[in-house]
Amino acid sequence: MATAALRSQVAAKWHEGFSRLNRTEQGISGLISFSQAWNIATDYLHPQDISDPTTVKKHDLTSVKVAFDMINRSRRLPVMLETFLDAICNQYHLITRDIVQYLAEYEQSADTSVMLRLVYRLVEWYRAWAPIDELGPTIRAAYTLTFQTQLFSILPPGFVRGFKDLCASTLVPVAQHTPEMWEAFEILGLTDRYEGIIASVGYERIEAYVRETCTAKWDKPCLEGLRGWMSVQIVPWMLPMYAKGALNTEDARGMLQNVGSRFDFHMNKTLCDLRTSEIFDIIIDFPDSMGALQDLKECLQRVDQRASLVQALRKANRKRLLHPGADTKLILTQYVATIKCLRIVDPPGVLLFKVADPIRRYLRERPDTIRSIVANLVGDDDSGDSLVDENEPIQPLQQLETEDYNDPNWDPEPIDAGPDFRTNKPSDVISTLVSIYDSKDLFVKELQVLLAQRLLAITDDNSEKVEKERRNIEILKIRFGEAALQVCEVMLKDMTDSKRIDGHVQSQKASIVHPTIISRHFWPSLESSDIVMPGQFQALQTEYAKEFSTFKPDKKLRWLPHLGTVHLELQLEDRTIETDVPPLEAAFIELFSEKNIWTMDELIGGVGTVDRIAALKALLTWVDLGVLKEDEENKFRLLEIAEEASPPPRAAPAAVEEPTVTAAQQQQADQMRLYWKFIEGMLTNLGALPLDRIQTMLRFAPGYDQTVEQLAGFMDAARREGLVVGRDGMWKLNR
Amino acid sequence: MKVTVKHWHAVAQWRWDTGAAEPEGPDAENEDVCGICRVPYEGCCPSCKMPGDDCPLIWGECTHVFHMHCLLKWIGTPASKQQCPMDRRTWVTAERKVATA
Repeated sequence: MATAALRSQVAAKWHEGFSRLNRTEQGISGLISFSQAWNIATDYLHPQDISDPTTVKKHDLTSVKVAFDMINRSRRLPVMLETFLDAICNQYHLITRDIVQYLAEYEQSADTSVMLRLVYRLVEWYRAWAPIDELGPTIRAAYTLTFQTQLFSILPPGFVRGFKDLCASTLVPVAQHTPEMWEAFEILGLTDRYEGIIASVGYERIEAYVRETCTAKWDKPCLEGLRGWMSVQIVPWMLPMYAKGALNTEDARGMLQNVGSRFDFHMNKTLCDLRTSEIFDIIIDFPDSMGALQDLKECLQRVDQRASLVQALRKANRKRLLHPGADTKLILTQYVATIKCLRIVDPPGVLLFKVADPIRRYLRERPDTIRSIVANLVGDDDSGDSLVDENEPIQPLQQLETEDYNDPNWDPEPIDAGPDFRTNKPSDVISTLVSIYDSKDLFVKELQVLLAQRLLAITDDNSEKVEKERRNIEILKIRFGEAALQVCEVMLKDMTDSKRIDGHVQSQKASIVHPTIISRHFWPSLESSDIVMPGQFQALQTEYAKEFSTFKPDKKLRWLPHLGTVHLELQLEDRTIETDVPPLEAAFIELFSEKNIWTMDELIGGVGTVDRIAALKALLTWVDLGVLKEDEENKFRLLEIAEEASPPPRAAPAAVEEPTVTAAQQQQADQMRLYWKFIEGMLTNLGALPLDRIQTMLRFAPGYDQTVEQLAGFMDAARREGLVVGRDGMWKLNR
Repeated sequence: MKVTVKHWHAVAQWRWDTGAAEPEGPDAENEDVCGICRVPYEGCCPSCKMPGDDCPLIWGECTHVFHMHCLLKWIGTPASKQQCPMDRRTWVTAERKVATA
C-alpha cells in the first residue's frame, strides 16, 4: 500500500546510491569496477594467519592502492573499515591460540624469555594485520584501538603474572633487549594499561633492596646510599617507559620528575616502616644507632608515619619494657635513651610526649623508682653507666613554663600535639626524670636517706669521702635549689664538726671511741634501738660523753648504740682474732668474756632489748668466724680453742652492714601509725565508717597531712594485720 | 677470753643540756621546743640555717630557755617590755645554765 510519495522517495534513495557507486560511468560498468576494487581491498585487509605460510597471499600493492582510492572516492571507506574490524574480531581466535600456547609454555618453564617471545609474537600479529599507511591515521588508530581492545579482552590472568615477571627480569641487571621490549610494549599498548604493574615491579624491587641492605644496620644513615642506588639501578630502567621520546637528558629529567618522586617516596616509606618496626632495638643501641635515627627523621618529614611510629614504640614498650621482670634501673635507662632518641627524630618533642606517658605512669607505680634515680644522681651505682651524661651542663630543674606569646620566635605547637601536650623545650634528662613525680620533695627526702647511709658508713676519719659527698651535694644544689638541700648541708657540717670535736676530745683524753655526732631533726629518722652496751663499752661511752660535756658545757651526748662499727681484737687461748663488727656483735662477744656459755635469751637480756632475728644474725657472725658454736638450739658456747669441726675462720672481716636508716616509705608508715589511735577511737565510738568520713575526721588531728589514697593504703595494711575489716567501703574494727 | 676494743666508730646525737629531765623513750615525742618559734631546741630558729653552736640557746633566771636569736628579737620589740614571754617577769639572762632541777 505504498503511496506515490513513498515510492518516489525509495526511488530517489536507490538512485542516489547507485550513482555514488557507479559514478559517472556508462551503464553499470562503474558498479562493476567498484565491486572489483572492494574485493581486492577486503581481500588485502583480511587478517591472515601468519603461523600458516601457505595461506599468506601476496598482493600487488599498486592495484590495492588503486582499489582503496576508488572506494574512497565512492565514500565507502567507513563501511570498508567496519568490515575490516569485524574481520579482525572474527580472526582473533588465531592470536588467542598463540597466547594460550605461549602461556602454557611459560607456566611450565617459568622462563621470562618465553614471555618476551610472546610479546614479540603479538607485535608480529599486529604488524601483519595493519592496514597500509595510505589509508590515513584515522583508520590506523581505529585499527590499533580494536586490536588492543581485543587483546586485553582475551588476555588471561596468567598473563599479568608473566608480564610482571618479565618486567622484573629486566630490572636486575638491566638487560640488553630492554629498548625493543619497551617498544613492543608501547605498540601493544601494554605500557599504559599495565602501568600500575610496572610501577609495582619497581616498588617491590625497592622494598626488597631496602630490607636487604638496611635491616639492622643502624650505625650510618642509609638514605644517601639508597638514593645513589636508585639513580644507578632504577632510573635507567624507568627511562624507556617514563621518558620515551625524550630528546636529551634535560627532557628526560623533566619527564622523570613525577614518577621519580613517587619512587623516592616509596623508598622513604619502606625505610620508615622498617625503622619503625625496629625502633625499640634502635633505642637500646643508642648512641650507636645514630644513623638510623637520622634516616628516620628525614623519612618522617616526607612520609606521614608519626602516628604509627608512636604506636609501634608504645606497643614494644608495653611488651618488652613495662613488665615486672624488668629492672627499674633498666626501665630508666631505656626511658632516658628514648628521650634522647626521640629528641633527634622529633625536636619539638610531640612523639616523645606520647611515648613517654605510659612509661612515666608505670615508673610512678614502682616503689624503687625514686631510689634508683637518686642513686644515679649521686653516682652511687655499681654498673657505672650513669643515666646522666657527664658532659651535660648542670642546670636547675626546669619548671613548666607558660607560653610566652610575646616571644618573636614563638612557634605554635605541632599539629599532632594532643591537648595536654606540654612543651618542655630544652629540658635535660634529670628534669624530665624528676618531673615523673609531681613534687621534688620525694627526691630530696630520698636523697637525705641515701646521704645519711653513706655518711654513716664512713668509718675512719676519711675526710676525702666527706668531701666527695659535699661535691655531690653542691652539684645537686644547682638542680634542686639551695633551700631544698639545706638539711644535707647540716648533715655534712655534722661530719666535719664531729671530726673537730673528736680531735679536741682526743687531745684532752685519748679514747678509742671516735663518734660521729649528728644533729637530731636534720637526719632522716634512724631506726631506734634499745641496746645497752655492756661492760667496757658502757664505760667507754660514759667517759667520752663526760669529756664532751666538758668541752661543750651546755650539750650532752646521746648514743645511738646500734650504729657504727667496732674494731675488735679477741685474745683466745690459742689464737687472736681481729675484726670489724657492728656494735651488737661487739656487745655479745663482750658478754662472752664474762662466761663461756650463754643462751639466746640471756644474751638478749644482757644487751637490753633486741630483736631476736637481729640477735641471731649477730651471733651467727661469730659462729662464722669460728669464735662461737651453737651446741644446741639457742645455746652458744665460746670456743677458747678452735675446733676442727668449726669452719675455718674467714680471712675477710664480717661484712659491715650498711647502717640501717629508715626509708622514706617506712617513715610514712610510722607517721601513720600515730593516727591509728584516732582511727581506733572513732571506729569504737561510731561503728563502721566509710573511708572519706575517716579522712574528714582525721583532718582535725594536729599535723595530719595524709591524702585519702595514703589513708586507704594504711587501712588496707591494717586489714592485712587483722585489725579492721572492710566491707562495701565501710571499715569497722575486727573483733 | 679478752676483748680489746681497738677503734670504735660510734654514732651519737647531741642535745642541749637544758636542765630538764632527759625525756625517756627513743622517740621522745614530748621533746622541748623553743617557746617562741615552737621549733625544738636542737633545731634552729627561723632565721638560722645551722643548728648547734651557730644557733645557741639562752637561759633565763626564770628557768625558761629559748633560742637566743628568738629571744633577742623578742626583747628588741617594744611590746616585750623586756619581759620573759612565758611568765612576764623581767628577763634576766642566767650566767650559766640553771642548776639541774
